[in-house]
Amino acid sequence: MDMSGERRIAASRKKVWDALNDPEILKQCIPGCESLEMQSPTDMTARVKLQIGPVKATFNGKVKLNDLDPPNGYRITGEGSGGVAGYAKGGASVHLTDDGAGTLMRYDVKADVGGKLAQLGGRLIDSTAKKLADEFFEKFTTLVGPMPAAAAAPAIAVKKVGWLKRWFGRKDPLPASR
Amino acid sequence: MNIAVPTREQREAKLEGMGCKRKRVEDIRFTQGKGNYVDDVKLPGMLFGDFVRSQYAHARVKKIDDSKALKVPGVLAVITAETLKTVNLAWMPTLAGDVQMVLADGKVLFQNQEIAFVVAVDRYAAADGVEAVEVEYEDLPVLVDAFKALAPDAPLLREDIKDKMTGAHGPRRHHNHIFEWSMGDKDLTDAAFAKAEVTTKDVISYHRTHPSPLETCQCVASFDKIKGELTVWGTFQAPHVIRTVASLLSKIPEHKIHVIAPDIGGGFGNKVGAYPGYICAIVASIVTGKPVKWVEDRIENLTATSFARDYHMTTEIAATKDGKVTALRVHVLADHGAFDACADPSKWPAGFFNICTGSYDFPVAHLVVDGIYTNKAPGGVAYRCSFRVTEAAYCIERAMDIMAQKLGMDAAEFRLKNFVRREQFPYHSALGWEYDSGDYHTAMNKAMEAVGYKQLRAEQAEKRAAFKRGETREIMGIGISFFTEIVGAGPSRNCDILGVAMFDSCEIRVHPTGAAIARMGTKSQGQGHETTYAQIIATEIGIPADDIMVEEGNTDTAPYGLGTYGSRSTPVAGAAIAMAARKIKAKAQMIAAYMLEVHEADLEWDIDGFRVKGLPEKSKTMKELAWAAYNSPPPGLEPGLEAVSYYDPPNMTYPFGAYFCVMDIDVDTGVYKIRRFYALDDCGTRINPMIIEGQVHGGLTEAFAIAMGQEIRYDEIGNVVNGSFMDFFIPTAVETPKWETDYTVTPSPHHPIGAKGVGESPNVGGVPCFSNAVNDAFAFLGTRHIQMPHDYWRIWEVAKGLGLHG
Repeated sequence: MDMSGERRIAASRKKVWDALNDPEILKQCIPGCESLEMQSPTDMTARVKLQIGPVKATFNGKVKLNDLDPPNGYRITGEGSGGVAGYAKGGASVHLTDDGAGTLMRYDVKADVGGKLAQLGGRLIDSTAKKLADEFFEKFTTLVGPMPAAAAAPAIAVKKVGWLKRWFGRKDPLPASR
Repeated sequence: MNIAVPTREQREAKLEGMGCKRKRVEDIRFTQGKGNYVDDVKLPGMLFGDFVRSQYAHARVKKIDDSKALKVPGVLAVITAETLKTVNLAWMPTLAGDVQMVLADGKVLFQNQEIAFVVAVDRYAAADGVEAVEVEYEDLPVLVDAFKALAPDAPLLREDIKDKMTGAHGPRRHHNHIFEWSMGDKDLTDAAFAKAEVTTKDVISYHRTHPSPLETCQCVASFDKIKGELTVWGTFQAPHVIRTVASLLSKIPEHKIHVIAPDIGGGFGNKVGAYPGYICAIVASIVTGKPVKWVEDRIENLTATSFARDYHMTTEIAATKDGKVTALRVHVLADHGAFDACADPSKWPAGFFNICTGSYDFPVAHLVVDGIYTNKAPGGVAYRCSFRVTEAAYCIERAMDIMAQKLGMDAAEFRLKNFVRREQFPYHSALGWEYDSGDYHTAMNKAMEAVGYKQLRAEQAEKRAAFKRGETREIMGIGISFFTEIVGAGPSRNCDILGVAMFDSCEIRVHPTGAAIARMGTKSQGQGHETTYAQIIATEIGIPADDIMVEEGNTDTAPYGLGTYGSRSTPVAGAAIAMAARKIKAKAQMIAAYMLEVHEADLEWDIDGFRVKGLPEKSKTMKELAWAAYNSPPPGLEPGLEAVSYYDPPNMTYPFGAYFCVMDIDVDTGVYKIRRFYALDDCGTRINPMIIEGQVHGGLTEAFAIAMGQEIRYDEIGNVVNGSFMDFFIPTAVETPKWETDYTVTPSPHHPIGAKGVGESPNVGGVPCFSNAVNDAFAFLGTRHIQMPHDYWRIWEVAKGLGLHG
């Protein structure tokens, strides 16, 4: 699954950067996050409760920050196991640039989801991921730099946009006659 | 007083013997919900087992932590490969001569592979226990694409045999190679291709699908420590083979193992193999001393127990310009998944795929099959077909259409020109089979007339012209398939499974009152054996079918047999029934001769008894003879009236058929409509026309499913992405087209009653027919071969690729 997007945040680049490195902020922003502990400046362990379609799971995972380039961005990678529900692994490149008084945050996500999650939730993974990303940035924006309502509208561009394109452009074929 | 003497017709009708549309006797219990399936078996103190399965397609298992699971209330034990090693059962032999992990031993090789078996007091506790087992993985590169399996840098899957370069079927040339199997004459075939006027070469793939029976695989194992006896109830298509394998593996003497296959809710090949669930349930019962039940859920069934097909067939035909085939060359890349657990007789690692010359007179042919390992579930069973016969039929029937298209010939005419002719039977095919009988031209001509073939082609030509003029967005396809099956495995000279020869058996006991019980080595999974077997006996010995009970599935009472799959029940066990019945009839004749005070040779059989030739009023019915057999047998003759027959067939049987499909496709939506489907089957002697029709309907529906969308699909990291009925296509009455059935009768010359088997023909012939219809619809727009499955989306993609969407 690939996903990319950008967000405008009403805070300085430094402030955004610090927030991106603050486990307390991240913990509040990650949907379903029950714990996030810093093991070293670049390593964290996380516990996240998620539901994708019919599959509910608690993920225990490791998160690592790579390619640190303060305050311009980093690459965050992680992998988590949801036990019998499956696993997820992947990473996101995050880039920060000044945007007037605020900061423009761009991200590119690449993730693999495996196990029962992929078997049962296959059709829902892309939309769920987008929803989770929305939730993350809503919260992040609220905590770090709230913007006037209009400007805070999510600017996420999931690669497969529009229901028509999602329907026909999908990799999964539809069952023959439904 | 006027007592009407029943007429001959009335006496015959009363028997409900062969040829009668007798209603299925088993349906009385099935339609009232009174069937008795494995999950209905409930024993005192019974425990439940459930699997922890791999989330990864290929990974090292670094740690299995069961400490939390063992604290879950109700969980009694967690069995892992380490536990099984103490009883030497961490690995088990497969039917194909390979070995397979029962539970992950160091690594996992496909998603949902069994890792640990949690035993608990009930199903819920077992499921909770499964969730609490923590498995630590280290993922490894995944091999999903069969065409990359033999690359020098392909991931090494089977570390256990990496240095073993000879497998059960000869040398292996790569760490992911299982076997190479070849048939036919390579030199003659190559020479024929070298001088051929026209040739075709296409990769024709038969995708991975799954038999998906309504009832999943399951068992209850109960070990009696005092007696040292093991009883296993299970969904077994071949209960005796399971008993023998269980005995060899467990070292429990075979007479102390009782295998019972109760009612089975569909098998279609999925229930032939031996699965880790059976082994684990047995071990758990031995360990705990209590009965242990294991029942697969739907996802487990679709993703872990035997799949079918996954054959990539590079098919070449050589022909003359005027349309006579001169040679066939096929190379198959056979994807067997992580372990070679396909169910084929020992000597045939690609089953009877060498029937791929089909119904056509190929002077020479050459076939090579390479079996390979991938990170997918093991299997390769015959999903409603004889071993690899659907693959072979699809291969040749698609290739014949492609060649006809290249020659510019009508596909039906091309077939008629190349059929094996009636006078050529028994026919020796270029790939080694002796076709026992057939009359292909008669069947094809009857079918063409029935569907109005000429008119259909004329209509199609008009529609194509209209489409090109832009007057319609619908295209019309006419699918043809003329298949020859090879069923009834099989003659012991060339068929065995793990050394067990593939005969079958029947024991008939006629009781003193003239009722009877027949016990069989086969096992119905819905085929209607209780109905049809009784009909054979009824005709053979004149006892009404209603007075005959047919019993199968209990290895203690049934004679040894190889079970039901590959349409072998009627060709093999059906013959055993006739032979056993004839032994009874012979004894009855001796008794009748004594009672009527004539010589045996002076008697003749008359529907339900013997009569003296020329004196029809002097007769004895079978009922009377049965009583006499027990209570007043002739001096010197031992009492009783029973017989056992073990039948080793002299040859296979070769059912055939002509199928036609008319399909209309909307190129803008990819939606197809099946306007007409006509199926003519020749299964030799017809025992019960109603059951045949039902079998054909069922088989065609499965063929429709497979051709038009039913698939087990893996993504690039080895996830099964359609492992539930939400995504796996099971047609309902809404999607299923209307079926028209027809027949010709060409009895098998070597079978006691001339029957050939029919349950699988419609699947064998149906799939190519649907696929040919889709291909035929698009052919005039320049396509050559469109791969299955043909779901709406893929059809739409084809139209899009042709630039039809503007």
